[in-house]
Amino acid sequence: MATAKTGEIALRPVNELDIEAVCAIDEKLSGQDRPGEWERRISYYLRRDPELSLVAVEGKKVVGFMLGEVKAGEFGLEEPAGWIEVLGVDPQCQGRSVGKKLLEGMLAGFKARGAKAVRTLVNETGQKELFGFFEAGGFKSTPIRTLERKV
Amino acid sequence: MENVRSSTLPKKYHDAVVRWGQTFLPDYPLLLDNWEKFFPHDKRHELCAYRQMGMCDEIECGTMKGKPKFHKANEMTPELADHLLKAVKAQASTELGSIQQHQLTLARAPEEVDQFWVLRMMAEELRHGYQMFHVLLEDDWAAVSDTKGEDMVEEILQMRTGSHVLGAFNVDFDSFVDNIVFCALIDRVGKYQLAMQKVSAYKPMAESMPPMLQEEAFHLATGVVPIRRWVQSAAKEEGYVGMDHLQKVINKWFPRGLDMFGDERGGGSNVKMGLKPMNNAEAAKQYTEEVQQLVSDLNLRYLRARFPKLSRDEAQERLKRIVEKGDAVEGVGPDNLLRLPHHSFFRRRGIHAYQMIDIDGKKVETLDGFKSHLKSVLPEAYATARDMTKFFELMGKVVHGEVKADDAVHILPNLSRVGGVCPCSRAVRWVVDEPQKSNGH
Repeated sequence: MATAKTGEIALRPVNELDIEAVCAIDEKLSGQDRPGEWERRISYYLRRDPELSLVAVEGKKVVGFMLGEVKAGEFGLEEPAGWIEVLGVDPQCQGRSVGKKLLEGMLAGFKARGAKAVRTLVNETGQKELFGFFEAGGFKSTPIRTLERKV
Repeated sequence: MENVRSSTLPKKYHDAVVRWGQTFLPDYPLLLDNWEKFFPHDKRHELCAYRQMGMCDEIECGTMKGKPKFHKANEMTPELADHLLKAVKAQASTELGSIQQHQLTLARAPEEVDQFWVLRMMAEELRHGYQMFHVLLEDDWAAVSDTKGEDMVEEILQMRTGSHVLGAFNVDFDSFVDNIVFCALIDRVGKYQLAMQKVSAYKPMAESMPPMLQEEAFHLATGVVPIRRWVQSAAKEEGYVGMDHLQKVINKWFPRGLDMFGDERGGGSNVKMGLKPMNNAEAAKQYTEEVQQLVSDLNLRYLRARFPKLSRDEAQERLKRIVEKGDAVEGVGPDNLLRLPHHSFFRRRGIHAYQMIDIDGKKVETLDGFKSHLKSVLPEAYATARDMTKFFELMGKVVHGEVKADDAVHILPNLSRVGGVCPCSRAVRWVVDEPQKSNGH
């Protein structure tokens, strides 16, 4: 298992033993303990492409994660594109470029898999910090719109 | 998978593997029929060999580090080829052996989703066996070995639970808990072996590993995720699997997992020859740390489910108190949680093979005392199984000085079934083959 010296942040692919660490980070961020949710999500990415989704580690401690995959043909978008579904960084490690490193690692993975673009969905008003993070990472709003209606 | 080449075996061998699958993996058509239900959008399973292209061309460890990797068998020395072929045979045997084991109890899965995850895993293990056959059959080994690839394939296809190369694959499953714990503990050893063989000096072997490792990641989740659920249900006194039984199944498999790494004093030759980057002891140590983390995470899950008002930090603190100080808090003590057996417990390979050591790592003085201890810490169905009967017989000979422990490691397992090849028959008799020397893996 990849490790990093204390103070250094390293990246490695997510694995099934990271579920609890990801739960812990999510709990710090959301205030909810959601083991079933992360068991489901991480298992999904492990069976789809286990080398792509990443965790950031300091020593052996997981301090951040980013999950995503390459899709083609979704919503009529035929070109293969990387999709970032979720990321989280331990609040104690925020400000140390953990998210930036995860993003760079994921972008490299997407590119190696033939993705021509990388997409994600962010609530521009409700998630200003996250929006700023992706803007700083070179993401721009596109004409593709999310449509929604209540049911 | 990007930059991957796929191919199939010559028809004769491809058909033989298909026929093997029809016997030992009879639910394969069911898996394909339900693929979209359980694995929507995932690439459908195919029986073929994959090779990762663009991998390192230079030997990555050992005395030949930096020299070009071997692309053909006849470029290797006979000694190197011998080590490699033993590893390929052991790998192929484990892949097919695990399918035979899983099939015994697959139908007993309490949850359909767990059953289909295991079924997919079995299909992928069949592909892994196929992959090893591809390594054996795509090259001509005549210049470096007396063993023909086709003979080895035939031998492996004939193996049954009881005659496989490694001990862990000669132990019958007793319940679906075995299927799941096996995935979490024994497939984890498989992950290490595959990861180590990714650097193999024989390039076709190295190229075979990444696609197998990709699939192996899901196999570990197939084990870990249901155990996490079971532990949480046990904490709420719901569900089918109690902590006590789970602990006994861990006790059954963890020692076999450690045995799979081989003797702690060995593995150096593989490193020197550039076949693996770690010796047996180093790999087993990392494995143990991973399983310890799994056990700690499961215990934390148990406490959080049992005491939902505890915060994560409070639960961590309580776990530490229970495990390190042995305290019982609100009715939960060390015996209610999971633990890792001592690394020297119930071993059949290595320094501690055939020593009477209990689950805490303490020596047991008498054979009767040791038998009694094993029966108390192993699942009842396993403690009374043929494998254990043979183990106790051999243990008795070691204790009475009739067989040396170093020799005993080569005697088990050598059990083979009689009564046909039907894997679903639980009533078959066993016969003991003539003891054969282990190949050291």
